[in-house]
Amino acid sequence: MNPLGEKYLRKSFLPFLFCPGCGDGMIVQSFLQAVDDLGVADDLAMAAGIGCSAWIPVYMHFDVFKGLHGRAIPAAIGLKASRPSRKVVVFTGDGDGLAIGGLHLIHAARRNIDMTVVIVNNQIYAMTGGQVAPSTGVGSRTQTTPYGNLEKPLDGCKIAIASGATMVSRWSTAHTRQLTRTFKKALNHKGFSFVEVLSQCPVQTGRYILGSGSPQFNLQWLKDNCVAVKDPSQWGEIEAQGKIPVGDILQIEKPEFMEEVQRMNQKVKEEAQAKGGDR
Amino acid sequence: MKGAERIEIDRRYCKGCLLCQYVCEFDVFEPGQERSALDYLMPRVAKIENCRVCGLCETHCPDMVLTVVANTEGKENP
Ligand SMILES: Cc1ncc(C[n+]2csc(CCOP(=O)(O)OP(=O)(O)O)c2C)c(N)n1
Ligand code: SF4
Ligand code: SF4
Ligand SMILES: [Mg+2]
Repeated sequence: MNPLGEKYLRKSFLPFLFCPGCGDGMIVQSFLQAVDDLGVADDLAMAAGIGCSAWIPVYMHFDVFKGLHGRAIPAAIGLKASRPSRKVVVFTGDGDGLAIGGLHLIHAARRNIDMTVVIVNNQIYAMTGGQVAPSTGVGSRTQTTPYGNLEKPLDGCKIAIASGATMVSRWSTAHTRQLTRTFKKALNHKGFSFVEVLSQCPVQTGRYILGSGSPQFNLQWLKDNCVAVKDPSQWGEIEAQGKIPVGDILQIEKPEFMEEVQRMNQKVKEEAQAKGGDR
Repeated sequence: MKGAERIEIDRRYCKGCLLCQYVCEFDVFEPGQERSALDYLMPRVAKIENCRVCGLCETHCPDMVLTVVANTEGKENP
C-alpha cells in the first residue's frame, strides 16, 4: 500500500472489488491526492449510489453514505442542507448519474447547490454485466445491443452546463495528475461542480465495445482518443474529428442555493419580528 | 541525477494488471513469476537503476500497491 493508501483507505474493506486494471482505483487515488494536498479530509461528506464506480468513496476513510441506484444526489443535498460546512461529494456512474439518476443531476445543477459530482464514464453499465448506457456510442455492441447501439449518446458535461452547473471539467484515467488538479479546484469551488472522468473498464467496455480486455489496450484507447484542450471553444472541432475533448470547460460564479435559503430565512424572520410576530 | 532506492509492491493487494510496466518509460518493470496473495502474477522490478522517480507507475496503479522510494543519498546540501 502506498503512503496515500496507508493514510486514507479503509483497510478492512480491501482489496478493492474492482477487476484488475480497472480505472476506478486510479480515481480513488487521484481524489485522495487532492484531499491530502488540500488537507480537507475531516470536512468531507460523500454519497454514492450503485455500480462499480459507486464503490469509489466507500474505500476512503471519510464520512460516506451509500444508497439506492441513482439517488446519491438527493442524499447529498440532504447532507449539504444539514451540514453546510461540509464539502459534499457524490461519486456516480454514467448509468447511475445519467440514466436512473439523470433528473437529479439536472435539478441539483439548476439550483447551483454547493457540491461536487464526479461522474465515472466507462460507456456502459459495468457492474450488471455490460448493458447499454446513455453514454454508449452509436454502433457499440453490448449485452443489450448485440447488433449495435442505435441511440445517440448523452454528453454529461453539456447537460451540466445547460442545466446551470458553475464548474464543469472532463478528464480521463489517462490524466491522473490533471484530474487531481481539477478535483482540488472542484473541492474549493462554491457552487455545483461537475467532473466527468472517462475510466477504463477492460472487462465490459473493453471486451464488448473496444475489442480487447487488456488493461493496457484500454488505457491506450483513452490516451489515443482524448484530446486535452485549454480553450473550450475548440471542443466542437475535436468532436468533429471523432475524438473526445478533455479539460476544464467552465468555472463561473453564481448565487449558491443553500446560502440563498439561509438569507431568505433570515429576511423572513426579521420581517416577522419587525411586525411583532415571533417568526 | 534523481534515482530510486527501491520500489515496493504490496503483495497483499496486487492484481497483476501490469499497468506499471506499461506506463513506465524506462523499462523498470517486467512481468514476474511470483504470485500475490490474491494469486495474480506480479510485476518484477528488473532495472531499478533506470528509475527517474517520476511517479507515473504509482499514480497509475489501480490498487495503490506501488511505492517508489527515492534515493536520498548525495542529493541535497552539497
Ligand atoms: C433501482 C435499481 N435498478 C437497477 C439496478 C441494477 N443496477 C445495478 S448497477 C447498474 C448500472 C450501473 O452502471 P453505472 O452507473 O454506469 O456504473 P458502473 O458499474 O458502470 O461503474 C444497474 C442497472 C439497481 N441496483 N437498482
Ligand atoms: S466491471 Fe469494469 S468498471 Fe466494474 S470493476 Fe470490472 S473493470 Fe471496473
Ligand atoms: S517512478 Fe517513473 S521511472 Fe520509476 S518505475 Fe515508476 S514509472 Fe518508471
Ligand atoms: Mg458505467
